Amino acid sequence: MDGKMTDREDGGMGGRAAETVKGAPAVRADGAPTDPADAAGTAGTADLLKVENLKMYFDTPDGLVKAVDGVSFTLNLGETLGVVGESGSGKSVTAMSIMGLVPMPPGKIHGGNVLFKGQSLITISEKDFQKIRGNNIAMIFQDPLSSLNPVYRVGKQVGEGLTIHKGYKKKQAFARAIELLDLVGIPNAAERARDYPHQFSGGMRQRAMIAMALACDPEILIADEPTTALDVTIQAQILELMQSLQKRTGSAIIMITHDLGVVADMADRILVMYAGRPVEYGTTDEIFYQPLHPYTWGLMRSIPKRTAGDKEPLTPIKGNPPSLINLPAGCAFSPRCPYAQPRCHEEGPVLVKLAGAHASACHFSDDPAFLENSPLHDDEDADTVAPGAVAGMAAPEGADTRRGHSDG
Amino acid sequence: MADTLLKLSHLHKDFAVNRSLLQGHRKRFVSAVSDVSFTIERGQTMGLVGESGSGKSTIGRCIIRLINPTSGTIDFDGHDVASLKGRDLFNFRREAQIVFQDPQASLNPRMTIGEVVSEPLVIHRTGTKAERIAAVKGLLETVGLNPEHINRYPHEFSGGQRQRIGIARALALKPKLIVCDEPVSALDVSIQAQVLNLLDSLQAELGLTYLFIAHDLGVVQHISDTVAVMYLGTIVETAPVNLLYSAPRHPYTQSLLSAIPVPDPKVQRTRSRIILRGEVPSPIDPPSGCRFSTRCPVAQARCSQERPDLHEIEPGHFCACHFPSPTTP
Repeated sequence: MDGKMTDREDGGMGGRAAETVKGAPAVRADGAPTDPADAAGTAGTADLLKVENLKMYFDTPDGLVKAVDGVSFTLNLGETLGVVGESGSGKSVTAMSIMGLVPMPPGKIHGGNVLFKGQSLITISEKDFQKIRGNNIAMIFQDPLSSLNPVYRVGKQVGEGLTIHKGYKKKQAFARAIELLDLVGIPNAAERARDYPHQFSGGMRQRAMIAMALACDPEILIADEPTTALDVTIQAQILELMQSLQKRTGSAIIMITHDLGVVADMADRILVMYAGRPVEYGTTDEIFYQPLHPYTWGLMRSIPKRTAGDKEPLTPIKGNPPSLINLPAGCAFSPRCPYAQPRCHEEGPVLVKLAGAHASACHFSDDPAFLENSPLHDDEDADTVAPGAVAGMAAPEGADTRRGHSDG
Repeated sequence: MADTLLKLSHLHKDFAVNRSLLQGHRKRFVSAVSDVSFTIERGQTMGLVGESGSGKSTIGRCIIRLINPTSGTIDFDGHDVASLKGRDLFNFRREAQIVFQDPQASLNPRMTIGEVVSEPLVIHRTGTKAERIAAVKGLLETVGLNPEHINRYPHEFSGGQRQRIGIARALALKPKLIVCDEPVSALDVSIQAQVLNLLDSLQAELGLTYLFIAHDLGVVQHISDTVAVMYLGTIVETAPVNLLYSAPRHPYTQSLLSAIPVPDPKVQRTRSRIILRGEVPSPIDPPSGCRFSTRCPVAQARCSQERPDLHEIEPGHFCACHFPSPTTP
């Protein structure tokens, strides 16, 4: 716990606050280097949230959809978990399952557990869940326009949780809502709180959503693609805001996104998902600098590199993500995996811890020769390679990657 | 320059907005594109980046004449296409085509992909039916689809495959220019890379010229030879791709580049971001002087009075700022 927090401190905020771009005075959302997060973090018990082998299936006319199939992770105060994957990988359903927002039926929990401070959220009664939802665990949705009620004033919606969970009177809640809107950087908060959602711009709506989620000081904030619908300059504002608020309140964040840049920025740990299953789990540095799973490699290779001067072809992952109704036998990634062996098509790998908490669901992740295929993704600035990364892992060209690893 | 395919000069596009009846008949205009000039060389790719509402797509649509520019000229291969009409306009459509952002919405769900891809050929009365079918099969193969799927419907394909169909349709008439309007932003990263590679290889094979419109600066850097950055209907900076990314001079470009999270945690932790205050102003009532002046971290009194011209600050590097940053950040 302590180790994680220190990681976060020197890496996360301190380094970035150190300098600004020459010639352009930077306007920063996070100003003072305050450290209440540490105090809050160490005070909390271990395992604020523990998800164990969660399976959420949907019964559809076409067959059983295994939307989430065996996801496990733990989350502590002050930590940020990034959940990465392509569309249909089960990221959002995982979040909705934790929040108890999946309609059942058609959804059905086929096993596993979600423990919030040791209490199961799977077996809990809806009445008790309502005391936690929005109060201890809050969620920011991707599309703020469809998540806000168009016929209520923004201030009323932001303060609603306070009247429900904290016993605020309507006027008190509205006054607090104004403070919260001010906190998330909405100008003229007192006036804007009386506006309706359609009068807000996209970025402001997302800020209002964050204010609403923060109203009851939740311990866990689940953000489902919070910046996907926003422009980059507004995205930067929102990410900065979430980081500074996390520092202030010490809450834990689950950040669901398909953007590896966003998790590189925000996350302490990363869970990579594919076809409803976790394929790799580790610290941000482990995932980016010592990735173990071929799917993670494929994702890294697919990103257009910002330093690439000449047009060199990208190395995409061949094929398309599988249908969740009819998953391939064995490893779900095997039909697209350039290194797949006969074993991969028959036997499904399980997520195995390899180094510390770094886990990978691949039969060959413990094979050093196999890991030679890793893109290592920073061939151009090898000096920044994480200490401990295997030296000499040159990024193979597209042709090489198809050859497999029969030598290993 | 001898081999310029497309030259835009002082292009303007205003859209009329009708206020409600009670507010009278005073017409107001959204100035979506204001005084935009640039050139694209044959066989090159120009990347056009900017946030939503900056006028990127409007420029693309003006160029292929899906909408008519309010004023300005569009010089395409030596002819002004801004004022083309009738038969001339019809013929121009063979020369310039577009690939749209949303492959779901831009394919007719009731047409087979064979019909979709051959429609331009039918409209332009190219070849016999048998020749057209052969051509469509060839096109499908070119974009990496199975020619046997010619009788399938768009819903039977995935997002990436649908985008390939859109590209095949754009290629059908063998155009010189393809406007790619956010062609990969609806796709997952792994699929996005497939489509980008396809666009790259088609350009090399067929000598195509692209205007590549996107908001993802990483994608634009990958595919472009030159890049133009737009803000609120104007081009604020344009330069060869490496120069623009390594040494941006306009404060908006600098903040835009700094705002993108880099998928490399160590780099990301040591970077500093320039967080812009506020949001993009309404194009109905754009700020006077420099349109970026209301959010610019280095704005001075002159900026809100006098509009800066796009001028060459070093060979090939144009910047519309009174106070371009002197050194590289």
